[in-house]
Amino acid sequence: MTTAVPTPSTYQRIKRRTFEIMEGEVPDKYSHFVEIFIALLVVANVIGIILESVPEIHEAFEHEFHLFDMFSVAVFSVEFVMRVWSYSEKYIHSGGTAWDGRKEYVFSFYGIIDFVSTVPFYLQLLFPGADLRVLRMFRLMRIFKLSRYNSAFEDMVAAVKAEKDSFSSAVFLLFISCLLFSSLIYIIEGHEQPEIFPSIPAAMHWFVITIISGWGNVDPVTFVGTILVIFTQILSIALAAILTGVVATAYTAQVERRQALYEMEVRNVLSDGVVTEEEQAQLKIMQAKLGMSDEQVEAIKHQMEEEKQISDANKQVK
Amino acid sequence: MTTGFKTTLMEVLDGSPKHTASRYVEWMITLVVLVNCSAVILDSVPEIHAEFKDFFHELEFWSVMFFTVEYIARVWSLGAKYSRENGGSWKGRFEYMFSAFGLVDFFATMPHYMHMFFPALDLRILRVLRLLRILKLSKYNTALQDLFHAIHSERQAFGSAVFLLTIATIVSASLMHFAEGHHQPEFFGTIPHSIYWSIVTITSGYGNVEPLTKAGEAIALITGFLGVCMAAIMTGIVASAFSNQVARKKAAFEAQLREVFKDGNMSDEEQETLRRLQAHYRLSDEQVEAMMLRAKNKSSAND
Repeated sequence: MTTAVPTPSTYQRIKRRTFEIMEGEVPDKYSHFVEIFIALLVVANVIGIILESVPEIHEAFEHEFHLFDMFSVAVFSVEFVMRVWSYSEKYIHSGGTAWDGRKEYVFSFYGIIDFVSTVPFYLQLLFPGADLRVLRMFRLMRIFKLSRYNSAFEDMVAAVKAEKDSFSSAVFLLFISCLLFSSLIYIIEGHEQPEIFPSIPAAMHWFVITIISGWGNVDPVTFVGTILVIFTQILSIALAAILTGVVATAYTAQVERRQALYEMEVRNVLSDGVVTEEEQAQLKIMQAKLGMSDEQVEAIKHQMEEEKQISDANKQVK
Repeated sequence: MTTGFKTTLMEVLDGSPKHTASRYVEWMITLVVLVNCSAVILDSVPEIHAEFKDFFHELEFWSVMFFTVEYIARVWSLGAKYSRENGGSWKGRFEYMFSAFGLVDFFATMPHYMHMFFPALDLRILRVLRLLRILKLSKYNTALQDLFHAIHSERQAFGSAVFLLTIATIVSASLMHFAEGHHQPEFFGTIPHSIYWSIVTITSGYGNVEPLTKAGEAIALITGFLGVCMAAIMTGIVASAFSNQVARKKAAFEAQLREVFKDGNMSDEEQETLRRLQAHYRLSDEQVEAMMLRAKNKSSAND
């Protein structure tokens, strides 16, 4: 399979085409269709799992739910097998072996999700005694299949990664204040309300609730305790603000990088003075890939054209 | 001979990247601090305390020994910070002993000895002081110091936000006292009592006490809404503090970039400088990439 064949056989052509459709790199009708079909099936699955947890609905439609689950597992299994099979094409042209692409897919986030959300069904067929609740949890993993078609999840992870220093310091701040405040409240109020603050871990539970919601369901009894609770409540606003600020900065940096990338592409396209059909398509793909709005693109193009006019005018003056 | 050792010890304890040992020392101290804090937390659970009392006691003793050695080593080695002409060895020592970290190190260790000499001392205060050890970790978190810098530079905006918060609290608390004071004297009987209620309502949007009168309901709603506004104001301030800080760093980095791109190509040495600057300013790869692209765009536009 690794030897270079001048004319690809029908088998290889089919494999290549399957890869293109599955990967969705080249925008075409079929890959779009496959994408929408899988996305709809995933959404239907998740709705099914939610409805199934209502006892009345579960009893009334048990058979239908079972049939639907079998159908989905069949589709997802075919999808998984086809992906593993066709991903051998991924690196074949850049010199890798067939198993490089497959290995990459199987051990990627999506590969693991595809596997984990399908295989438990077969396990249940083999060992009927398995805990149903665990199986249901695995089935809910199917919702992550959707994130393949939406970059929001990846954007978020990338933003957190880019700002990992600030994030970790915010978490560190949270950690330190959790330790200090919960021990303080335990020491101050532990004797007065032993049922609520019997130990520092219990006080930490109170602290986390206060930080998240602003009020921890407990009113302090002592004066010092009241002051401490008020401080904790103000801290909850401050921590929320810090985390929001960090995320906002990370997102701004990402948007800036994308604009700069796109700007470079537009400049390349405009450099020879004409915009061919092919270049236009290229820009469209790039815009979709970077997730930029039409307004942003318009603004960049407008700016480029203005710059070009200015530089042309400068040349004429010279 | 001793001076050389003293300087090395100072650098190692200071976390200087010159020595590999400094990283191990950092990890060691972090580990001991974390074990200690977990022990204090677990020790407060009555069942665990009953079972492992002796173990916790031993642990506390050896940690105090460890921290004492650390403290003495720091004080002694910091004598090498300034030469005789610049103030002598005690200048560096006093500087450390009265810095925030020095005080934390001192108060994290000293209570144990106090307890030895004065056994009648309140144990609860000792426990709080033991937990101060967690603050020793902040020495190693430079990003946290960055965060405080960002917030410090926006202290005026923060001050006005706190001012607004104070006004909102006092006004809503007094109004609530007049509206509900007679109906629920146990919660709104005095204005300080209602201040607690209004802070709870501002921070969580929902108070610990339900108002009984129509006027009280209206005030509670407005107070809850004010809470949302306060959160928005604080968030805005912090976000702008962050982006201002990033902008400052970027401006410095960009100046360097422009210098590099002036001659058109980037040498290995220049690349190394930029990388070091990036680490120093804590800029993410994304930000640097965006700036580089922009610098390239600009230089090609000028051609």
